[in-house]
Amino acid sequence: MGPCRLLSGCNLRILSHLRCLFFGNLNLKKAVTKTSSSHSVKLNTVALSFLAAFIALVLILILTSLSYIDLQAFKTVFTTSEIRYAIWTSIWTSCVATAISLVFAIPAGYALSRCKVPARILADTIVDLPIVFPPFVVGLILQIFFRQTAPGRFIHETMGLEFIFRPTGIVLCQFLVAASYAVRFSKIAFDNVDNRCRQVALTLGCTRWSSFRHVSLPQAKSGIISGGLITWARSFGLFGPLMLFAGSIASSTQTLSTRIYTEQSSGNFQVALAGSLLIVLIALVVMLAVRIFTSKKVVSL
Amino acid sequence: MIQLKDISCSVGDFKLGNISFTVADANYMALMGPAASGKSLLLKCICGIHPIDSGRVLIDGKDVTDLPPHLRNIGYVPQDYALFKHLNVADNIGFALKIQGKSISRRHRQVTRVAEMLSIENLMGRAVDTLSSAQQQSVALARAIVSEPSVLILDEPVSGLDEAHRQEICALLRMIAKDLKLTVIHVSHNIEESFAVADTAVLLLNGLLEQFAPLSDLLRKPRTEFAARFMRCENIYSCEATGAVFPGGTEVKLGSEILVLPGSFNTNVRFMIRPENIQVLKKYPGWEQDENILPAKLIGFRDFGNYIRVELDGPAHMVAHLSYNSFKKIDIPKETDLLAWLPRESIHVLEDEQPAD
Repeated sequence: MGPCRLLSGCNLRILSHLRCLFFGNLNLKKAVTKTSSSHSVKLNTVALSFLAAFIALVLILILTSLSYIDLQAFKTVFTTSEIRYAIWTSIWTSCVATAISLVFAIPAGYALSRCKVPARILADTIVDLPIVFPPFVVGLILQIFFRQTAPGRFIHETMGLEFIFRPTGIVLCQFLVAASYAVRFSKIAFDNVDNRCRQVALTLGCTRWSSFRHVSLPQAKSGIISGGLITWARSFGLFGPLMLFAGSIASSTQTLSTRIYTEQSSGNFQVALAGSLLIVLIALVVMLAVRIFTSKKVVSL
Repeated sequence: MIQLKDISCSVGDFKLGNISFTVADANYMALMGPAASGKSLLLKCICGIHPIDSGRVLIDGKDVTDLPPHLRNIGYVPQDYALFKHLNVADNIGFALKIQGKSISRRHRQVTRVAEMLSIENLMGRAVDTLSSAQQQSVALARAIVSEPSVLILDEPVSGLDEAHRQEICALLRMIAKDLKLTVIHVSHNIEESFAVADTAVLLLNGLLEQFAPLSDLLRKPRTEFAARFMRCENIYSCEATGAVFPGGTEVKLGSEILVLPGSFNTNVRFMIRPENIQVLKKYPGWEQDENILPAKLIGFRDFGNYIRVELDGPAHMVAHLSYNSFKKIDIPKETDLLAWLPRESIHVLEDEQPAD
């Protein structure tokens, strides 16, 4: 118990107490308990106010936009068949992209967490690379790959898999941009599985595969679902690469986000805003639902 | 029965070298040693969780060295229990049975039977993170024995528990091992805990086997100074042989005093005597054979509850553990010029060579 520990609190009151400690007879124990209790109260207050400020900022933005819209715009959103088609396209492409992402993310995350990966740091960084890519660049790279390069043309022309200006192109863009999140979350989830649990499972009759199936996977489940959720949300709101690579063809490759852009550029601000709020609403409902669903941790066999 | 033959294994710089011992059927063995002596690693080698470099592991006479863990028929309880947090208590216990594909009713029957044996049948539906440490320990134990293994491996099973629960679980372990005729290896730092459960002991030091003996021998007849010190004996002395050898005894010089040690030898040796075996006397008893009675000045004492530790200075520094009654009888601390009697039969000559100093 020296001045160092007291100083680490960085509290003016402690400093004045410290002065008393050196120059007067102050009860040290009393000083410490007093400051540490007032310290924790302040910490909580500060932390809570930052949280409140952030939530307020988000809510204010949503509510002010809400107050600006007239109901007619919402009606337009739900009655225009092209917009309804775009909403549906957004939903199903995001779901497919998330499913494919998870198919990759579960084994890839497990490998990053548990296996000896050659050049691990490099592999780890490359997995994260799409997160820092400007999304528009992804569209550009895909465009060039399929139009200008030999392997791209082989897939496109010889194998007959078409992506450019197709809904499959939407899924491809979403997968490329968002799968990194799923892999990252899945790695963290497997990191958090207690290694000893896996070892015990082996002694309890599990093979490596069944210990993965019965122990690692269930324990990593909520982390993997969170990753899927982020992936879905990222895919759902994706815009940049879609404009370039999948196009914004009404009733074909138009998603809600590209439709909003089209509405906005033709001056229909009300409809664009209503569509935007719809995106927010759908995302909110989906994320809340998954959170609530996965908060039940213990499941029976 | 567990037989280890020349097990070697390495992790980074640490090496477990040429460990061989046999734990007989239905025998309870304490695996002891200081921190980082390789105890947990050795357990993992036996379970097959960690690969070994050389040697053989035999369980019930069958060579399991090349078998994966799930075919070794071992119950394993790791440190901190490692319960499956995604499952409730009943499903944790029944895990092995589910993996074996047993029917739900069969699983239920076996889980209930084990739970009743460990008195945890009232916890069955609980989530494991709501349990106390002692309850978690019982669940981990139940999970390990539910599929009726012949061998049980426990890695510091009671180190996370308070004293009362520790005694309770130790008694429980002893009972289960006896009832189910299990061969048990139990890792422990604690001498009292080992005595509460085990028959034999293995002492490891820096990845090497220091001694494999009945637990009583490890305490009273340690092979080396390290083993003696690990069993908390402080009275270890080097002495010079005078050359006089009687039947059953050899005369040596400790400082300026003459002592008689058991056995016959003609070199300098090191010997130990346990603190509870040193008798403290007020005056010469006037026996015919008053050998090994040394002058001892009181330096200090401390009451440890079930014994009183008395420090004495004579030809060497000595520590004696006295009962409260004998402590009162001698009238410490008024009397400071005392005598220490080192009965010949309580003295044990150590095998290891003199340290070079």
